[in-house]
Amino acid sequence: MSFDFWIWVSAFLTLCVFSFLYKDNPFYKFAEHLFVGASNGYLVTIIWHGSLWPQGIRPIFTEGNWWLIIALIIGMLYFTRFFPRTSWLVRIPIAIVMGYGTGAAIPATIQADIMRQIQGTVLTPQNFARWNAGSSGVIWTILLFIGVACTLSYFYFSREHKGVLGVTSRIGVVFIMIGFGAAFGYTVMARISLLIGRLQFLLGDWLGVLQ
Amino acid sequence: MKKRIPLLLVLIFGIAGIIPYYSQYPLVQNVQSFIRNDMIRIIAAFALVLGLGSLLKVHFDKIRRHRENWEYSWVLILSFVVTAIIGLFGGRTGGGMLPTSIGSFVFNIQVIYENVNVPLGSTMFALLAFFMASAAYRAFRARSLDSTLLLVTAFIVMLGVLPLGNRISHHLPSFVQWIMDIPNVASKRGIGFGIALGSVATALKILLGIEQKWLGGTR
Amino acid sequence: MKAFEYLSKIDRRIIYLVIGVVVILPLIFPTVERVRVMAPAQSLFNAVDSIPEDMVLMIDFDYDPQTMPENEPMAVALLRHAFKRRIKVAALSLYVQPLALALKALDQVTEEFNARAQTSADSIIYGRDYVLLGWQPPPIVPLLEMGISISNVYSTDYYGYRTDSLPVMQGIENFNDVGILVSISGGNAPLWWVGYSQVLYGVAVGAGLTAVSASDFYIYYQTGQFSGLMVGMKGAAEYEELVESKLQVPGERKASEAMPSLTAAHLAIMVFIIIGNIGYMMRRRI
Repeated sequence: MSFDFWIWVSAFLTLCVFSFLYKDNPFYKFAEHLFVGASNGYLVTIIWHGSLWPQGIRPIFTEGNWWLIIALIIGMLYFTRFFPRTSWLVRIPIAIVMGYGTGAAIPATIQADIMRQIQGTVLTPQNFARWNAGSSGVIWTILLFIGVACTLSYFYFSREHKGVLGVTSRIGVVFIMIGFGAAFGYTVMARISLLIGRLQFLLGDWLGVLQ
Repeated sequence: MKKRIPLLLVLIFGIAGIIPYYSQYPLVQNVQSFIRNDMIRIIAAFALVLGLGSLLKVHFDKIRRHRENWEYSWVLILSFVVTAIIGLFGGRTGGGMLPTSIGSFVFNIQVIYENVNVPLGSTMFALLAFFMASAAYRAFRARSLDSTLLLVTAFIVMLGVLPLGNRISHHLPSFVQWIMDIPNVASKRGIGFGIALGSVATALKILLGIEQKWLGGTR
Repeated sequence: MKAFEYLSKIDRRIIYLVIGVVVILPLIFPTVERVRVMAPAQSLFNAVDSIPEDMVLMIDFDYDPQTMPENEPMAVALLRHAFKRRIKVAALSLYVQPLALALKALDQVTEEFNARAQTSADSIIYGRDYVLLGWQPPPIVPLLEMGISISNVYSTDYYGYRTDSLPVMQGIENFNDVGILVSISGGNAPLWWVGYSQVLYGVAVGAGLTAVSASDFYIYYQTGQFSGLMVGMKGAAEYEELVESKLQVPGERKASEAMPSLTAAHLAIMVFIIIGNIGYMMRRRI
C-alpha cells in the first residue's frame, strides 16, 4: 500500500466519484465541483504562461510589436458581454475568430471529407491494389462501392423507397447496421478500458495488490 | 450597424481563411501569418478567459441567491482560486515567485493536475462502463432482423478484437478487420458525405450572412 | 414465468457488481495474453520507424484524463519507439488539458531510459532529443501556421526556452521537416490534422484513437490519409507488443496487462445482453 500523500488524495477523489454508483451524495457533489474549479485554475495558468503573456503582452514591451495592442483591445471586447449597453461589441471578436475558422474549414472539408473519400471509393486500379489481396481486392473495392452507393440511397428521402430505390436502400440499411454494430462493439471496449484504467490505479498504485 | 459590422467581418475573415488553400504567394503567406499569429491567437485566448468569467458569475449568483447546492459553489470557487494562484505565481512546474514545495512535499500545478484533475476526470468517465453495461442489458433487444444483424456484428467485433478471438479462430480477428475495412467504411463514408456537405453548406451560410443565430438574434 | 420475468429486470446494482468483479479479478490474478498485431498498428509502426534521421516525429497529445487509460499507453509506447530509435520528438497539444498529460508521459519514458543509460549519449535529454512545444490557441493556428514555420507558432517552448536555440529543432523549419505527425486523441483532432495540415502541406498523419472514434476514422485510413492507426486499448497493446518484440524495449505494458480484464468484461456484457433478450422473447411469447 502506498503512503504517498498525493496517491491517497487521488484514491479518495476516485472513490468519491465512484460513490455515485450507489446514488448522488455530498462526496460526489464535492468531487464534481472540485474538478471544475481545479480544471479552470489550470486553464488560467496555461493561458497566461503559454499564450497571453509570452505572445500578447511581453512582445509589446520587449520587442516593440505595438500592433499587438489592437489584438488585445479586440480580445477585451469579449468582456463587453457583461454590460448590456455594449454587449453587441462581443460579436466583433467572435466574427473574426469564427469567420477565419469557418472559411478555413470549407476547402479542408471539401478536400479531405469529400474529394479524397470519393477517390477512395471509385473503381480504379489503385484502389484494387490497396488491399494487397490480388483479385480479392477487386471484389472488396466493388463491394465497398456498392455499400457507399446504397448507404447514400438510403438517406435520399425525396422519393419513397420503392422499386429500385427500395432495394438499394434496403442494402444500405444492412451496411449501416453492420457499421453501427461494429461501432457498438468498439464502444464497449472503450468504456471498459476507462474503468480498467482507474482500477489499475486503485489496485496497483494505491493498494499495491497488483503483481 | 450592430449586425452589419460583424457580418462583414465574418465574410472578410472567412475569405481570408479560404485564400491560403489557393495561393502560396509570399505576400499572401505573410498576411496569413499576421492574421493567425498576431490577431487570432491573442483574441482566442480571451475567449477562454470569458468562459471562465461566465462560470464564476453563475456560481457567485448561485451563492448570492442560495440556490440548490449553493454550498458546493464555494468548493468550485475556492479550488479555482487556489489552483490559479499556485499556477500563476508558482509557475507551470514550480520555479515561480511562489514556492511550491516544502521539503520533499511538492504542490505545483503539475502535481495538482496529476493528482486531482486526473483521478476526477478519468473516474467520471469510468462510471460510463457501468452505465453502458446496464443500458446494453436493458435496451439492446433483437426486435427485428436489422437489430439482430447489429447485435451479431457487435458480438463478433467484441470477441474478435481480443486475444480470445484469436484463440477461438485465427480467422476471427481478420474477419473483424474486414468488417471494419469494408462494410463499416462503406456505411460511415456514406454518412460522412452527408455530414461533410451539410457542414460546407452551413459554413457558407454563416460566411454569407444567411445564418445569423451566432449573433444572438434572429433574422 | 417468474424466472423469465426476472431475467429482464435484474437490478442495476447487481450488474455494476458483476462488472466490477470481472474486471478486478483478472487484474489481481493476471494471465499473459499476447496480442496479435493487426495491419493498422503495424502500418503506423512502420511509418514511424522509417522517419529519416534529419526529420522529426511530431506528437500531438490531445487526450485528457477522461480518455487517458486508452490513450496514455499509446503515447508511452510511441515515445519508447522514438527514443529507442533516436528519432527526434517534438510534442505539442491543441488544447490546454492534455499538456500536463504530455509532460507526464514524456517524463515517465525519459526516466525509464535514463535509469538504464550508461552514458550521456544513451540518455534522453530535453532539448537535444525532444522538445515540448506547448499549446497555442486556437487550434487553427498551429494546424495552418506550422506549414510555414514552427517557430512562428512556438517561438518559445513550454518551459520558455527559445525553440530555435534548441539542438533538437535545428534544421526543423516546418512540416517539410516532419517525418510523420501522430495525433493521440480522444476526439477529432486527427481529422483536423488531415483536413488542414495534410491538405495544405502534405504532412503524413497517423493517429491514436479511442475505440469510440474507430469506426468513424477508418474511412480515412482506407484512403491512406492516415498512415496508420492505434485503435483503443487493443491498439495500444499491439504497439506495445511491436515495441517490445522488435526493439526489445522493456517497460510496464498497461494496455497489454488490461487484456484479460477486457476479455472478461466483454463476455460478461455479452451474457447480460443475451439474458436480457431471452427474458424479452419469453415475455413476448406470453
